Amino acid sequence: MNKFLFFLIICIINIYDFTAQNQFIARQGQITFFSYASVENIEAQNNQVLSILDVKTKKVAVSMLMRAFVFKKDLMYEHFNESYIESDIYPKATFEGDILNFDKNATRQTKLINGVLNIHGISKETKIKSTIENNNGTYSIYGECKVLVKDFDIKIPPILSSNIAKSITIKFKFQYQPYDE
Amino acid sequence: MNKKSTFFYAIALLLILVNIYTYVIPYFQKSDINLENVNFEAQINSDDLIASYLSNENKTNTNFNGKIIEVTGNVKEVTFLNNRNTVILYGENKDSGIICDVHPSQIEKLKLLTIHQKIAVKGICKGFLKDVILLNCIIDNQPNE
Repeated sequence: MNKFLFFLIICIINIYDFTAQNQFIARQGQITFFSYASVENIEAQNNQVLSILDVKTKKVAVSMLMRAFVFKKDLMYEHFNESYIESDIYPKATFEGDILNFDKNATRQTKLINGVLNIHGISKETKIKSTIENNNGTYSIYGECKVLVKDFDIKIPPILSSNIAKSITIKFKFQYQPYDE
Repeated sequence: MNKKSTFFYAIALLLILVNIYTYVIPYFQKSDINLENVNFEAQINSDDLIASYLSNENKTNTNFNGKIIEVTGNVKEVTFLNNRNTVILYGENKDSGIICDVHPSQIEKLKLLTIHQKIAVKGICKGFLKDVILLNCIIDNQPNE
């Protein structure tokens, strides 16, 4: 009888795990970057960033189109895409990482996401501190980080170097919905 | 003023005008362009556009990226996430759609949209992730059949 009960419990746990919602998607994630420089401040926002969160494997993936960043002025957009990021050659930036010590049931937690950031065709190991919220089974992740322009082989002509900060602040916000692949 | 200096001033003026046109005007030009009175460069329905991206993303990027296109499709969802005004059109499969970031001049039209309503959206094509992304969109809620 005890063996049967044990078997039944294991089966129920497995069925629960199989049917549980593990993957979540954000199709309209928001990424904003800021360059604070002596000559001018530059800010751009992308509101169509894609992200998939897997709470079982504790992995998160992000993908964005560089040409979907919106600047205040046309010229900034042109310089960013044509001279610095070379969006025709490298149209997307991506991030894939593991959320360290992630607890899928915690209402609010601040965790490090350890992963690889790819911008301008250059991949770099990156640790990003993020706040993760669980709102009745749906998740949101937000936070900010800094990236160095030189790490991604982005060439800025010396004459324009005072216009662009050496370190760019990136803010991100993703609100996820259940995702059935 | 002799002929030589007149020529010099004319060239200098021309250079100044070229610089103003190339650098100064774009600097003050806002990127939030209203496409209401701008003609589209290509017209396609949402199913065909997504099918094209799924079969050959590079080729479809060459055909549509950065261009003003008009896409016809049915409304899947209207969202105001992150203070953006967005309409999402159904795609040929449940996994992909057309995300249209709507120009502020279209908010009243956006609020009146209903799910499954057939519309045409004119916007600048930015590419494809899981969905096609269009920015600066103008809504035509009575598309030509």
